[in-house]
Amino acid sequence: MKKALALLLALVMTLSLAACGASEPAATQAPAADKPATTPAAPAATEAPAEEGKVFNIYAWNEEFKGFFEKYYTVPEGVTVNWIINPSDGNMYQTKLVEALLNQADAPDDEKIDMFLAEADYIMKYADSEYTQDITALGVTDFSNTYPYTVQAASDANGVVKGVSFQCCPSALIYRRSIAKDVLGTDDPAEVQALLNSWDKFNAVAAEAKAKGYYMTSSEAETFRVFSNNGEAPLVDESGKLVLNDAIRAWQAQAKDFTDKGYTLTCDIWSDECTAQMFADGKTMCFFGPAWYFNFCMGNAQDPDKGCYGDWAICEGPAAHFWGGTWLLAATGSDNPTMLADIMDTFINDEEVCSNLIKNEAQFTNNQTVNAKFAEDPTYGNDFLGGQNDVAVFLELAKNIKFENKTIYDQELTEGLQGYWREYCDGEVTEAEAMANYYKYINEMDPEIVTP
Amino acid sequence: MNQLCEKAPARRKTISYAKWGYLFIAPFFITYGIFKLYPLFLTFYNSFFENYRSGLKQVGPNFVGLANYIKLFTPDANGTIDILKYAGNTVVLWLGGAIPQIVIALLLAIFFTSYRLRIKGQQFFKTVIYMPNLIMASAFSMLFYTLFSNVGPVNQLLAQMGIIDAPVDFFAIQITVRGLICLMNFLLWFGNTTILLMAGIMGIDQNMFEAANIDGASSTQTFFKVTLPLLTPILVYTIITALIGGLQMFDVPQVLTNGAGTPNRSSMTLIMFLNNYLKTSKNYGMAGAISVIIFIVTGLLSLLVYRSLTQKD
Repeated sequence: MKKALALLLALVMTLSLAACGASEPAATQAPAADKPATTPAAPAATEAPAEEGKVFNIYAWNEEFKGFFEKYYTVPEGVTVNWIINPSDGNMYQTKLVEALLNQADAPDDEKIDMFLAEADYIMKYADSEYTQDITALGVTDFSNTYPYTVQAASDANGVVKGVSFQCCPSALIYRRSIAKDVLGTDDPAEVQALLNSWDKFNAVAAEAKAKGYYMTSSEAETFRVFSNNGEAPLVDESGKLVLNDAIRAWQAQAKDFTDKGYTLTCDIWSDECTAQMFADGKTMCFFGPAWYFNFCMGNAQDPDKGCYGDWAICEGPAAHFWGGTWLLAATGSDNPTMLADIMDTFINDEEVCSNLIKNEAQFTNNQTVNAKFAEDPTYGNDFLGGQNDVAVFLELAKNIKFENKTIYDQELTEGLQGYWREYCDGEVTEAEAMANYYKYINEMDPEIVTP
Repeated sequence: MNQLCEKAPARRKTISYAKWGYLFIAPFFITYGIFKLYPLFLTFYNSFFENYRSGLKQVGPNFVGLANYIKLFTPDANGTIDILKYAGNTVVLWLGGAIPQIVIALLLAIFFTSYRLRIKGQQFFKTVIYMPNLIMASAFSMLFYTLFSNVGPVNQLLAQMGIIDAPVDFFAIQITVRGLICLMNFLLWFGNTTILLMAGIMGIDQNMFEAANIDGASSTQTFFKVTLPLLTPILVYTIITALIGGLQMFDVPQVLTNGAGTPNRSSMTLIMFLNNYLKTSKNYGMAGAISVIIFIVTGLLSLLVYRSLTQKD
């Protein structure tokens, strides 16, 4: 009896070990858990290739596009859209995305990525890879209305187009009208532009703003894109070496100068401290951003109680530049090619959807015809900008966008540089230490880049 | 009959109850082998390879010998050897939390177990001091991050009380970041240590204390001559587990500084350093080399602590 009991106990123990120990035998022994869930779906997809998948998976790093998608796109009946959203912070979005793309071939059809979003800073990495597919083959062929740079950015080295952008992102100087009146004596965009159209003038105005108790910018990194976009060389050269070009060095000098002189706060551009400056009691005169910035980043300014809706305006600023932009890329292996093509076509060619994006969402769309219509419409004005026709301003700025000197590492390089340079601006470290820390960060994130 | 008689003792010789013992302890050794020993060897093996991911491309694995270790110990342009700096950070952060943790826990354990004090509501206090340990370290860290952020309540409070004019960026100053990390680790763990030490003290024969009392020993004498020597095994255990936990410090500083170990990487611990290599680039070579070094250091330190505390004079 005792022996039998002992044997039983021993058996129970070894069995329980086998169940949690080796995963493969456990999976074959215990099909109860996940097998039934996947089996009915799998044969349906393989047996009938004409019928498309029932789950549409979209990888994104924020809710911005999800909002537009849910409002303006009618999902075919029977298809569930599954959003997988991971924030960009600390490269989390890309880490998860890469993991999923590398496993794409082995994933069940309903778990495969159908479409994913990519940003200007790293779109090349994905567009120029086998993990995205030719959208012209899927049926998206009409790019006549889009801005050429958006197509170029989403193409691989051979010019095969892998995705589209639903927005065009010329970036402008966004200023507080009331503060501009106080500092410059005017809030008229043309006059403000004339007073801020070069860095010398910008720096001089910063001193005046400081004298009146204002900040010129809310973060030392606010002007980063204005400089970096006009850099004459990519951050990583052909031999894989990190080279900080003159534009970046100019930004570094300005960031330190502005911090030392108290023209700016020092904080991350996405931080609460930075956006707190957009409240009515904020003391900051200038922000920089494209159309997406209004709704996506300036929520505090639109706050009904503490905000300052309508107290803003835009002008070109010291230098033309663009910032970001979200592209929709078609993942290789998608089991919903028709829907995929339909989404892309809708967001670049459907004039009603594009008009709604401008009217309701304050976007600057990737449809030149629609943009031109709004730019010429005397009745159109953006209330957030005190009735200014922002589309007309962006229309002019869009002509200057050059998508060049980009690398696949731009996001990590930019994020790291801003973070480590801030420590120097704050006086926590010496310049040499800040740069050494930055190089260490690069070695950890992208080991193949050669740092000085 | 004869045959049976001969067979019986022979059979008895083979009956060994030891095999049941081995069978019962086998699960541990099998799991240990699969989940600990094998990965441990794999880590050593990986540390000799160049093996990382660049975006969507995989580089390696290529055998590079000791190159990863050499890289780890090569000083940067300012003469800093990274891994030593992070080891230093880890030790400072650990000591800052562990010293108050053990001292306060020992004090509390003595108060709670003292038959003279007879503190009322012991259960309540024990629960309260243990409570922080029930919160996830990352959640606790997030809470502190929110409390001490530039626009957070602590800054607002200090500004309202007129102590500061401009918000203090707690996460840009070395001493405050480190201080906060130590404070959090202390708060998280002192309850746990108190409970352990109390169990240790309660395990000591009460007669010892009474005898000491009768012989006229003062409280201090009782503590140093009776409690402490008899508590040594538990204290050693506590210190070693705290040490290993401390060397592996990760979640609190990682969440508090968003993985950057600000400022000047002065709150970057060894495991955060390891994580930096694994997070995006999946650099198993460098991460393996760091792991091996941490393994060796942890082993040596544990041995040292064990020896120094168990040595009889």
